[in-house]
Amino acid sequence: MEFYTKPGDYDPINYVPHTESHGTSELWKTFWILLGITIFDFVIYFVMGPSGFRNFIFIFFGLVKAYFIVGAFMHMKHERINLALIILVPTIFIIGLIMGLLYEGNAIGQIK
Amino acid sequence: MANQQAAAFEKQPMWAGGRSPFNVSYGKLMMWIFLLSDAFTFSSLLVQYGAQRFSNVQSAVTTKWPDPASIFNHFPFMHGFHLPLLFVSVMTFILIASSVTMVLAVEAGHRNSKKEVQRYMFYTILGGAAFLGCQAWEWATFIHEGARLDSNMFGITEQGYKHLASVGFGDHFEWEAGDRTWGPVPFAALFFIVTGFHGFHVFSGVVINVVVYIMTIRGVFERRGHYEMIEKAGLYWHFVDLVWVFVFTFFYLI
Repeated sequence: MEFYTKPGDYDPINYVPHTESHGTSELWKTFWILLGITIFDFVIYFVMGPSGFRNFIFIFFGLVKAYFIVGAFMHMKHERINLALIILVPTIFIIGLIMGLLYEGNAIGQIK
Repeated sequence: MANQQAAAFEKQPMWAGGRSPFNVSYGKLMMWIFLLSDAFTFSSLLVQYGAQRFSNVQSAVTTKWPDPASIFNHFPFMHGFHLPLLFVSVMTFILIASSVTMVLAVEAGHRNSKKEVQRYMFYTILGGAAFLGCQAWEWATFIHEGARLDSNMFGITEQGYKHLASVGFGDHFEWEAGDRTWGPVPFAALFFIVTGFHGFHVFSGVVINVVVYIMTIRGVFERRGHYEMIEKAGLYWHFVDLVWVFVFTFFYLI
């Protein structure tokens, strides 16, 4: 195995950092969490009537699932903070798009 | 001497050059940036869905936006029964399970265990194919029921909602005359566009996984000395799972 980590022989195209296995326990834990949340969503759908609060629960647990998929499965928890920031921070703009367009959609609905 | 040089190198600022400030390979960094752009693509589609839906909350011309789970209430071999959300939950489970086998393949790759990588990649491909099969069935059923891109006959009337409220989970259910009327036009079109775009990503993911699987069998990564390609394919596959979380939330739950 050959890794380019010493000064002088760093090749930006072929550089592959050495990776260690973290074991499978965290992965299986994440699987059970994701499965549990999916079953919880399924139960909540039938137990509660349609309401804004129920939608909030669904979106909140959707974001929790996203956190576990990105953090554990996509290994983001173990990456450098530099990488996590350049990938995660730009998604803030999506929140602005959602708020703006839902507001406009609602306004169109009022005059339709 | 060499150790001193390496120690001095470790102490210099991260952005001074000579190494990756992100400590990932070029390919993996580019995969992350592609996934970021793909996240924007999917959010534009989902925000479009949200805007259309919010503009049909109350409308004089058409009925309200139909409750999706009351339309996707079918299950294979259980024709005529009211089983909302069950089939999509099974699809979600398939995708989560294939995500786990994918991440187990990545973990086996870190240990350079060719046999295990092969086995878990095979399970992942099976999961992806099963998901695509489920989606094909869902589409076929929806089109058979009358879904079209340019119209929507799934507007549910007051009578229809009363009828739906009267049937329990697993009861026999058929639409009656007057239950449905013309509804908001983009309902079916958006369903086909967003789940179709996601399904196309699943299809591409399965193709990528098959390519990587064949490369593993032929010992390409063993000769290369690392299984980084499995990680890159895995990032894409988990992203597909991530998008499904939101498609499931906004198209079926809410």
